[in-house]
Amino acid sequence: MTHGQGSGESLTAEEAAELSPEEAMIVGAEADGIYIVHRRERFPIAGTKAERRAERTIATVFLIGFLAAVAFIVVFCGAVPFEWRLPGAGNQNYRYFTPLIGSLLGLSLACIGIGVVLWAKWLLPEEEAVQDRHDGASDMTEQILGAGTLVSGFSDLGVARRSMLKTTLALAGGALGVVPLVALVGAMIKKPNRGPGQSLFHTPFGPGVPLVYADGRRVSPNDLQPGGIATVFPGVEGGTKDADSPTLLIRLRPGQAVKARKGQADFGWGDYVAFSKICTHAGCPASLFEQKTGRLLCPCHQSQFDVLQDAKPVFGPATRSLPKLPLTVELVDGQQYFTARGDYPEATGPSFWERP
Amino acid sequence: MTTIDSADSRRPADGPTGPTVRGPKRFDKPRTPQGKAARWAEDRLGIAGGLRKQLNKVFPDHWSFMMGEIALYSFIILILSGTFLTFFFDASMAEVRYDGSYVPLDGVEMSRAYASTLNISFDVRGGLVMRQIHHWAALLFMAAMLIHMFRVFFTGAFRKPRELNWLIGLGLITLGLVEGFAGYSLPDDLLSGTGLRIAAAIMQSIPVIGSWAEFLVFGGKFPGTEIIGRLYIVHVLLVPGILAGLIGAHMALLIKQKHTEFPGPGKTEHTVSGERMYPTYGMKAGGFFFIVFAVCAALGGLAQINPVWLFGPYNPAQVSSGSQPDWYIGFLDGSTRLFPSWEIRLFDHTIPPLFWPTLVLPGILFTLAGAYPFLEAKFTRDRSAHNLLQRPRDVPVRTGLGVMAITFYSVLLLSGGNDLIAKAFDLSLNAMTWAGRISLLVLPPLAYAVTYKICLGLQRHDREVLEHGIETGIIKLLPNGEFIEIHQPLGPVDDHGHGQLGYAGVPVPKKMNQLGARGGGIRGFFYPVREKADIQAELDALAAQEALQERHRERELTD
Amino acid sequence: MTDEEYLDADGDLGFTPAVVDDDRRPVPARSRRRGGLRRRITSMAVLVGALTVVGGGYAMLAPSSGADDTAATSQDVEAGRQLYNNSCITCHGANLEGVTGRGPTLVGTGSADVYFQVSTGRMPAPAQGAWEVRKIPKFNEQEILQLGAFVQSRGGGPEVPPAGANLRASAEDLGNGGELYRLNCASCHGATGHGAPLSAGKIAPDLYRATDRQMYTAMQVGPENMPVFSNNQITPEQKRAIIGYVQAMKESKDPGGAGLGRIGPVAEGLVIWTAGLGVLMVSILWIGARL
Repeated sequence: MTHGQGSGESLTAEEAAELSPEEAMIVGAEADGIYIVHRRERFPIAGTKAERRAERTIATVFLIGFLAAVAFIVVFCGAVPFEWRLPGAGNQNYRYFTPLIGSLLGLSLACIGIGVVLWAKWLLPEEEAVQDRHDGASDMTEQILGAGTLVSGFSDLGVARRSMLKTTLALAGGALGVVPLVALVGAMIKKPNRGPGQSLFHTPFGPGVPLVYADGRRVSPNDLQPGGIATVFPGVEGGTKDADSPTLLIRLRPGQAVKARKGQADFGWGDYVAFSKICTHAGCPASLFEQKTGRLLCPCHQSQFDVLQDAKPVFGPATRSLPKLPLTVELVDGQQYFTARGDYPEATGPSFWERP
Repeated sequence: MTTIDSADSRRPADGPTGPTVRGPKRFDKPRTPQGKAARWAEDRLGIAGGLRKQLNKVFPDHWSFMMGEIALYSFIILILSGTFLTFFFDASMAEVRYDGSYVPLDGVEMSRAYASTLNISFDVRGGLVMRQIHHWAALLFMAAMLIHMFRVFFTGAFRKPRELNWLIGLGLITLGLVEGFAGYSLPDDLLSGTGLRIAAAIMQSIPVIGSWAEFLVFGGKFPGTEIIGRLYIVHVLLVPGILAGLIGAHMALLIKQKHTEFPGPGKTEHTVSGERMYPTYGMKAGGFFFIVFAVCAALGGLAQINPVWLFGPYNPAQVSSGSQPDWYIGFLDGSTRLFPSWEIRLFDHTIPPLFWPTLVLPGILFTLAGAYPFLEAKFTRDRSAHNLLQRPRDVPVRTGLGVMAITFYSVLLLSGGNDLIAKAFDLSLNAMTWAGRISLLVLPPLAYAVTYKICLGLQRHDREVLEHGIETGIIKLLPNGEFIEIHQPLGPVDDHGHGQLGYAGVPVPKKMNQLGARGGGIRGFFYPVREKADIQAELDALAAQEALQERHRERELTD
Repeated sequence: MTDEEYLDADGDLGFTPAVVDDDRRPVPARSRRRGGLRRRITSMAVLVGALTVVGGGYAMLAPSSGADDTAATSQDVEAGRQLYNNSCITCHGANLEGVTGRGPTLVGTGSADVYFQVSTGRMPAPAQGAWEVRKIPKFNEQEILQLGAFVQSRGGGPEVPPAGANLRASAEDLGNGGELYRLNCASCHGATGHGAPLSAGKIAPDLYRATDRQMYTAMQVGPENMPVFSNNQITPEQKRAIIGYVQAMKESKDPGGAGLGRIGPVAEGLVIWTAGLGVLMVSILWIGARL
């Protein structure tokens, strides 16, 4: 520490102006309760070889950063193509564009960062400072004066006495405070299950609704082989887009029989059964079908449904069997096509409070 | 003090950059551009004293205090990269047929949100790297907050007076989870759309108000046509605004209360020591910002993340195997996979199994975490303020509880990817689920017990070294045939040869080269810094030079 | 051109002609024309002889690709039967009826099933497991087709597509192929073809090594627990679109840098915790003080 001049308060402007910048810093710091307990130039003699070597290293780092940034600009502006191409359909060098600009940008940033840190570590004076915390509660006098301010203001308001004002203000403020919540929530709130296609209990399937593939083709019993599975939708407007409608049509293998739920033994048709594809746990399509074991696995949380037990959950977190769609077949132009006999008898998809 | 001061070589020389005028006048009428700018600001704002006070603030510079900085800097990087993305992203769920550069999706029907994401990835120059930097920075933001939280927890920095900052930090983590989820759901691809479906199911699973909640958020039955637009506003305006405010409060508290520090020589509860903000600490912190940015940029270019074109647009009838959320939501995926198929049915109403692992469990975890500072203060009956940190070994109960919590969290996190682990290691998926369920209950108490014992062992070893000194490794054969190891005492010893230093919460040196006896060891990270002797030699040379000059001057005066 | 125009000032041709007589003298055009017919017959004979030699040699030495016939000859069936008796009979029975506890029946599985199982090396399998691992195939292409012909002859079933058939759709159909893939295949094989575990130790394999024909036959047949996707359900055109999409996806480069196995958020989380935080922790230890 050099030239202690005493606390900043006792210095006149003339005296302060006489201090070197370093002395001024030290005096000022002391005024803030900060004491420099150790300060040493890393290179006390200016211009030594060691100092120049340190500077050169840092300068080199900055220079690399500069070059990397320039290279970034060059690459970005077209030195490397970035348009994607099919394999075998042209220049595949686009795959170098993003790695190059990312790593060049990273290099440039890293060089600035490393250079700055090296500057701090090698060239700035080694210093250790200690600062008074002045933590905890304020001085007791301050506390009392502060408290007095609050209390005095409170009594000026006279809120304690003027209970009529207090009550009515509270009413007004409270009601107004609720208004934004009401406005926002009220605008957004929608009664569940109300509106066309909004019921959690119903899908677009109904009596006579044909089963179709995603491209709209009707599904025929000749289409699937035993052990086959297809995703089908209700053949109505918007049916392939409805999130609760996707249905798994499964053709069982010879010898596989479904032990049906009560009242649903006749929901299948021939060796065909149809279950909702939407997992009753959290709504992912449960479509990993093991045709030999008859298990349907949902990939999200590993719920497993046994098709031969009417899609009853046998492992994992799901608790409800997949709803079963009642099937029948109609003849159109000599060809058989599947239709639904009615909607699913229960809500499809994940459970909710109102579901019995 | 004389005005002729050629002996003081540190005084800036008078010349083009220094004043030739003495006294306060040179501050009234500055001549340099910097001086003029400072004059301009000072005349209007009067900031000299305040600025000096802030610039001189002392920050302890232990390495473990820099992890929160990673979180802060990645937040800034997220803002910067995110702003770029908002110029190109279209948060609309209107259906459109793709017509861009990525041929395998040509003609496919998709939402505008997905199409604009593909546009950014393939048809905007530099768009893909920006998307990737943004996503990597998000992963880094969450990871950094977590390790920062662990550091704060294990060193007891959350104790009075910093409980409020702990709560703000938990709020930041919670908001970060929401923000990240909203962000990766914006592209409306198959992977994140599956996550949205699950989120809808989670909302639905709330008792009594579940379907109302789902209909409110989605504007109807899933998926509706509103959700991406709403998530967009949450993601670019609402949550970043709250995050920025909370980060500001977090920093403001840090500035007011000042940072904690580890105990050591000269460290007290009422002082903080380290480096001043300007210039040293600011340089290091600023440099570190660039390093964090560099890591994000390098990852953004070199490692592909969230390749939405491979997943395809979201379709409620489609799903991919191996679907997981981003890592920071993974613990909820794990808890959902492990939770047994327990459903509550009451009089024609259902509480679905999804409710407990996705809403109740994180609720309990965050509540416990938030209450912890107050619970610990109550149980230890500790009402005093603390500015000095504790070594984890010195608080074995807290450390044990922390490790227990981390074990619990890790089992959940790993279980979130249990199908990938099953496939990679040829294990049965069913067995993975059961292993997760059992580990979740068995491993945490085991971890607590083991950690507690380890802490006690470390504490005992500290005291043993204080008492008996450091094992030097030098074996001596005594005349009576006994072999002993020579110990180096750490301080004065009593008649029995036992050290008399008490444990002070400071790391005890355990190796000879950590002592001053050998010159304090070699300093420097990548290669040795200049030895003290070299610096001392330079100082001696300087002193000799000054002495010589002084003698010359004296001779001149007397001549 | 007359002969004189061929000759230079010295009376020489000035170059070495292609046709010379036995005295190594250049043969003028006229005399070449006189022996023309004989020469033509000779050269025809040489040509026919060369073609016979080359063609016959090719026919004898070149490996059979079965390109010329989908209808297997009875030789193929017999050869297949020999192969079957050597390698398959112990688990699948003398009449392809299957052996309980060892192997299922092959009646009705068709040459497509044989092609899939044997060309991926799954069959012959040393033992029955939860699922069969892809291995280096034991038989070459010709033998596989012969085996397939044999099994087809015994019980019928889906037929392996001919070798020359193009099983990959062109670029215009890739979009449709992708949609079909994601609807029918991705839930087991993954959006990026990385496969998945099924219940109790089974797996749906990755598609990284699958060829066009293997994918086609797998869809036709539904091997092991894979569902059967018959041609009425997923038409041959649609199958080609799916295969085209999968192969294009496999072969296309990752534009964003290292693909991390195209696994998804789990791999990305691992990278941020190891590479990302790892580098930053090293920098922190470098910048900060160590007590």
